[in-house]
Amino acid sequence: MSKAPEYPSIKSRTLTITHDIPISRTKVYWDGLREGKVYATKCKNCGQTYYPPQPDCPNCLTSNMDWIQISEGTLETFTQAYLKPQGFTHYEQNYIIAIAKVSEEIKVMGWLEETDIKNVKVEMPVEITAKTMPDGFPTIILKPKQTSTQHPALNQ
Amino acid sequence: MKRVAIIGVGHSKFGVRADATYCELAFEAVKEAIEDAGITQKDIDLSVVGSVGNRLYDMYPAPSVNEYVGLTFKGPLRVEAACASGSAAIFTAYNAIKSGFAETAIAIGVEKMCEVDTPTSTAIGGRGCYLWEFHMFGTSFAAYYALFATAHMTKYGTKEEQLAKVAVKNHYYGARNPKAHFQREINVEQALKSRVICWPLKLYDCCPISDGAAAIILASEEKVKELKIQDPIWILAIGYGSDTGNLTRREDYTSIKSTRIASQMAYKMAKINPEDIDVAEVHDCFTIAEIMAYEDLGFCKKGEGGKLIDEGQTWIGGKIPVNVDGGLKAKGHPLGATGCSMIYELTKQLRNEAGNRQVPLKKYLALAHNVGMTGQYCYVTILGR
Repeated sequence: MSKAPEYPSIKSRTLTITHDIPISRTKVYWDGLREGKVYATKCKNCGQTYYPPQPDCPNCLTSNMDWIQISEGTLETFTQAYLKPQGFTHYEQNYIIAIAKVSEEIKVMGWLEETDIKNVKVEMPVEITAKTMPDGFPTIILKPKQTSTQHPALNQ
Repeated sequence: MKRVAIIGVGHSKFGVRADATYCELAFEAVKEAIEDAGITQKDIDLSVVGSVGNRLYDMYPAPSVNEYVGLTFKGPLRVEAACASGSAAIFTAYNAIKSGFAETAIAIGVEKMCEVDTPTSTAIGGRGCYLWEFHMFGTSFAAYYALFATAHMTKYGTKEEQLAKVAVKNHYYGARNPKAHFQREINVEQALKSRVICWPLKLYDCCPISDGAAAIILASEEKVKELKIQDPIWILAIGYGSDTGNLTRREDYTSIKSTRIASQMAYKMAKINPEDIDVAEVHDCFTIAEIMAYEDLGFCKKGEGGKLIDEGQTWIGGKIPVNVDGGLKAKGHPLGATGCSMIYELTKQLRNEAGNRQVPLKKYLALAHNVGMTGQYCYVTILGR
């Protein structure tokens, strides 16, 4: 590829943005992550379940929710991120982002506890837990279940 | 109902445009569009700027763009629909004419992405659903489309070679488009050997981060007669669709549902079928997106997108030529400009002005498919002559 010619430019003044995101109505969720647990919400009025959890129900327009823990699912898809955005460039590992199906209404995104993408298969059963990373941010960990409970697809 | 015509189109060179500001890029496109239409700024009633804009040094780009191109007092809004912002601008301009608010309107799609570094641009892009995805998992658009690629490959047996063939085709045509970001051919082996960005997507599966602008001037049928414009291109239909913000709330990851919704709406409105289309521009931000678009737009059966590229049916001479300007993959994808760039290319095609990339026309029907994010927005526009 031919190198692009260099053009004169000037630097803009620096803009730093950090948000204070309100969690007063989803505090159960954020506290849960610190305890290793992942919660969804279930509407006390119509029974609809929500993940990501939301304290308001657009289905029946009420705001009265139960918190329900979600703890296992099966992998629906995954990728390994070599490209890391600003905010994640200090993570040395190329993390595996995956989505697990928990129920007809609930799917969860998380980081898969596995370093070799070759060991990962769609329909793998996973445990859903959470942890706090060394930089203080929470994340959800999808942990492949032990071989004895592996999905038949894994033996292919 | 009033018919709406395309009377002028303009397009800047796409690429890393360190030589120009976003206003200067918009000028390149607007100047060409105005000259193409044979009108002046005075003839334009409304200007709609389509720009994602969040990588710019300005946060409110529309007033500066309109002032710079001589359209002050014509631009009361900026529209944003992520990567479909250009189509959203055309949709807004089209509706203003349909409703009688305006006789002539311009949609200006403009984006400057390369003034910030790649991790910053990636982070801005990945923040479509910050709280439940980016915050915890460092998602990016490459990661999102990679999730679709894995699911599609697992369910339908789509191969990495088939993804690579999409890149090879689009680079082939990009090499013949002087306005494209990348103007060089690649082969399947190069694509397969390129470095992994988000597994299974590799460098050549991904569109570049680009700067650019495109502009489209629309007019009512009355205005077309008044301006004595012969044989314009007509907008026959615009269909739209949308989907959940959170990817975890999707039914599955092998299809873009909003594409199906938008295209069905557009086909019905234009009273045509997918087989009637002579040439299409589809949203190939990643190669897997082009494969899914073939299927979701009805160019082939679900799951047979890989086969369609294997057979070469989307090259010129095939059943349905797709992205013969290089697509987002090789032409580049300056977000807000892309929807207008698609209409620019299709207008040139329908006028038989596409030179060495001209598609043979049978029914003089063309389709543009512009997705925002991973289907959170979608517009399908059908043009005819």
